[in-house]
Amino acid sequence: MTASQTRTASPRRKTWASGAWKTKLAPYLFLLPNMAIFATFTIYPAINGFNMSLYSSSNGRTFKWEGLGNYQKILTDQEFWGVARNTVIYTVSFVVLATVFALLIATLVNAQGRGKTFFRAVFFVPVLVSPVAVGLIWNWILERQNGLLNTALGGIGLGPVPWLVNPAWAMVAIIMVGVWMQTGFYMLILLAGLQSIDPVLFEAAKMDGASAWRQFRSITLPMLSPSMAVVVILATIHGFQSFDFIWTLTGGGPVGATTLMVQYIYENGFESPIRYGIATAGGVLLFIAVFILTMINWAVSRRQEAV
Amino acid sequence: MVVLITGALIAIIPLVWMFLGSFKSPTELAQRPPTFLPESWALTNYTEALGRFNFVQYLTNSVLVTVGATVLTLAINSMAAYALAKYNFRGRTALFLITLATIMIPLQVILIPVYQVVASLGLVNTLWGMIIPAAATPTGVFLLRQYMLTIPDELIEAARVDGSGEFRTFWQIILPLSAPALAVVAIFSIMWRWSDFLWPLVVAQSEAVYTLPVALARFNAELTVPFNLILAMGVVSTIPVLILFLIFQKQIATGIANTGIK
Amino acid sequence: MKKLRGILAGLCAVPLVLAVAACAPGQVEGGDQPEAPVGSFNPADYAGETLEYMYFTDGPDEQATRDLIKKFETEYDVTVKLEVLPYSDLVTSTLNRLSAGNAPDVIRLTALTDFRDDLLILDPYLGEDYSDEFLAGPQLAVINDQKQMIAVPSDLTLNGPFVNVDLFNAAGVEIPDKWTWPEMIDKAKQVKEATGIPYAFAMDKSGHRLSTVLSQYGTYMLNSEGNALNQEKAVAALQPLIDMMANDDMPADFWLGSGSRYEGANEIFLAGETPIYLSGNWQVGQFVKNAGFDWAVASNPCAEQCGGFPGGKFMAAFKQSKNPALAAEFLRFMNDTQNQEQFVTVSGQLPTRSDLSKVGLTYADPATQAAMDVFLADLVITPEAGFAANGNPAFSPSATVLVDEVAKVVGGKKDLKTAMADLSVQIDDLVAEIDQ
Repeated sequence: MTASQTRTASPRRKTWASGAWKTKLAPYLFLLPNMAIFATFTIYPAINGFNMSLYSSSNGRTFKWEGLGNYQKILTDQEFWGVARNTVIYTVSFVVLATVFALLIATLVNAQGRGKTFFRAVFFVPVLVSPVAVGLIWNWILERQNGLLNTALGGIGLGPVPWLVNPAWAMVAIIMVGVWMQTGFYMLILLAGLQSIDPVLFEAAKMDGASAWRQFRSITLPMLSPSMAVVVILATIHGFQSFDFIWTLTGGGPVGATTLMVQYIYENGFESPIRYGIATAGGVLLFIAVFILTMINWAVSRRQEAV
Repeated sequence: MVVLITGALIAIIPLVWMFLGSFKSPTELAQRPPTFLPESWALTNYTEALGRFNFVQYLTNSVLVTVGATVLTLAINSMAAYALAKYNFRGRTALFLITLATIMIPLQVILIPVYQVVASLGLVNTLWGMIIPAAATPTGVFLLRQYMLTIPDELIEAARVDGSGEFRTFWQIILPLSAPALAVVAIFSIMWRWSDFLWPLVVAQSEAVYTLPVALARFNAELTVPFNLILAMGVVSTIPVLILFLIFQKQIATGIANTGIK
Repeated sequence: MKKLRGILAGLCAVPLVLAVAACAPGQVEGGDQPEAPVGSFNPADYAGETLEYMYFTDGPDEQATRDLIKKFETEYDVTVKLEVLPYSDLVTSTLNRLSAGNAPDVIRLTALTDFRDDLLILDPYLGEDYSDEFLAGPQLAVINDQKQMIAVPSDLTLNGPFVNVDLFNAAGVEIPDKWTWPEMIDKAKQVKEATGIPYAFAMDKSGHRLSTVLSQYGTYMLNSEGNALNQEKAVAALQPLIDMMANDDMPADFWLGSGSRYEGANEIFLAGETPIYLSGNWQVGQFVKNAGFDWAVASNPCAEQCGGFPGGKFMAAFKQSKNPALAAEFLRFMNDTQNQEQFVTVSGQLPTRSDLSKVGLTYADPATQAAMDVFLADLVITPEAGFAANGNPAFSPSATVLVDEVAKVVGGKKDLKTAMADLSVQIDDLVAEIDQ
């Protein structure tokens, strides 16, 4: 970077050779600061973490070689398979619901005139609250006896729903809160996508007498598919990594019904007795799962684009 | 319209409820059925919560970390994004993929190795230790790259023909054109750094460098958690980002619309 | 097609990069180097030095600690930096610092499990007889396999029931000086029925609190050797609680609602929703301040045995400390007769020193005094086996399993007998894992 910086003043035309040399070197210099930080604080630790997954350790300093022993332990652990099942149920429901709601809200908000800014802000606000606080607030709202939601449901003759107490309802609760917390973010992305669609297309469709549903299907959806792909990828990653708010909302309970993969990792890595090997091996497995899914998502969306 | 208003209510009511609750006393919070409005709007919970610790110090730390990390993120992310968007070079695809892949690594998983790196660099218990490691955000690189792809190559070619150096082209042409995307990354960075919890918790080992969320967690330090105070602190720590969002919401929205993800 | 190849290349690159780094991430396990004995302590050698004390707080103890630190700083001309951390992050944060070679000098802990090998052996500094200054029970937890002292018991807690006197009076039910479990439950239900409050009984969601009931029914999860659980007695002890939760006499939601995380039922008691609340003496301070009704501490109910279940905090120094002698001296100072008395009376704890527990203590106000007197009386009849159980390094992970297993029974996933059998197996595993 500095090399090109120092020689910017002269408006003299470069020789072809030196210009090419500069152009060749420049991208690496531009990348250097970002990649240096990246390599030091993300990639190297990730590799080191993978390395740790081949050892067992209870303190992060003394290590005993395990080979693939940690992976074997995890894959034969009953609890792990329960956790894996919970993670898949949560992530799939979260991705589907968050995307559908985000699309619905974005479409409705986009159709507003003056209210657009207002609604956009209102739907985005939950994104701004820290996840730890979100869990605490909802834990309080979903309380069976005296929570706001059950009081409200009682008012219309329903309930009381055992939100955080019954395993199935607790899963519903974390999905619901996860969607509540994140939909605004995805809505904003889709809204931006909608606004970038040329209005002329809709005018033309209207002149051809296409119904609103037909316009939505043949113009909005296809034009929106790149944004949708981004939303689905981001939501998948987010779903797999959900932890903070669940920790304060259900603590992974009742009886493990809402324990997801990151919590499994966290509990092995940070709660007594500490098992760093198991925790890091769990992390590697999670990474592999997310990586493969993201690649599939990406490949599918590329393919659609090409068609 | 009905759907929209219902949805908006669902989005906002829990937060209104938190706000109302933050004025209630512990006995009022325990009442059955719950009361809607607090008995009084006195700021008792707030003064008690703020009186418990050195609030101004934590606020300053939070602001320094947020601003510092955001400036650094913008600088290095935009340069990296420019390289990935506008140059052809060996390893471009690989570097881009690795960047994207790291979005998928949860911090909880690499917390210990990252900490070891930070410790060996002597950054533990410093604000830099909170600013630098998180600065190279993959999302920021991604968003900026997508946006820069839409800038016509002819502009860059023309600058080169005029003899502009590579960095000057970036600085004088690309950056101003990327302002909307930069705004988005800035806002995201501010939001993330402001509510960052786990990492500051590990790095900030003495009170002098605590950020707000870490300080908030200190309420949980006691075996007896006073929920009324937690609500008050929750409100206090949400308000700054809320105000920021309300002020810049137009920039954020248009910024996203103009990045590649449309 | 070209794109796909790029993706595949990226996919392959990741494991490749990872495979390159197949070297040990830190030092590989080996023997510890023996401690060199250190001569007698001369304060003048340490003037101007600094100690770092990693601390968590339950409330009023923080100020008491700060006052004592001031005193230490003036007497020894040193600086003590007090770092207060959230309790939930103390262990993680300390482990991180240990692995970075940046450990604090002194730490306050509730369990030594995760640090046993890192703690400074105190005998060379404080003498081999130093541990005898403390009660026999707390001593059990701070002596390692080689009979060396690795921590100082700094205060003692005891579990016991709190009663809402107003509710008992309103119901016309008497609070006896001594009661059995069936008597206590019976009276609790009478109060619930007469007053129409939601519950008869509440307790913290904690394996430590459950161990109180186990102890009273004559069994423990652990002794100093390993698994000590008598499954039949455990079933007898816990069945009444399970029944109460099934009948809504005890808040079942509370046990299911927050996973294996600790949760205190103090708010249920403070809201006047239960006549009896099983917790421990650390609640006294906040009840004195916040309870809007007349309350008292009752003696622990008896079954096979009486007395409560002990817990406590420890102060320890790290081997990594740059000033081990000063650190050891700090531990001694903070826990000498006069200073421990000041600490426990201000913070509303029980003493660990033999001399203090004999003389009796004067607490800050009459309400605290009355409450603490009941705890002190129960402490005398608390079986020593309770200390052994609590002192086993496998106790806190086993306690988490106990909570999980009870939650499974409450949630209808298994019956109590199976749960206790499963608990026993898991205790064996944990003991083996921690001993290796």
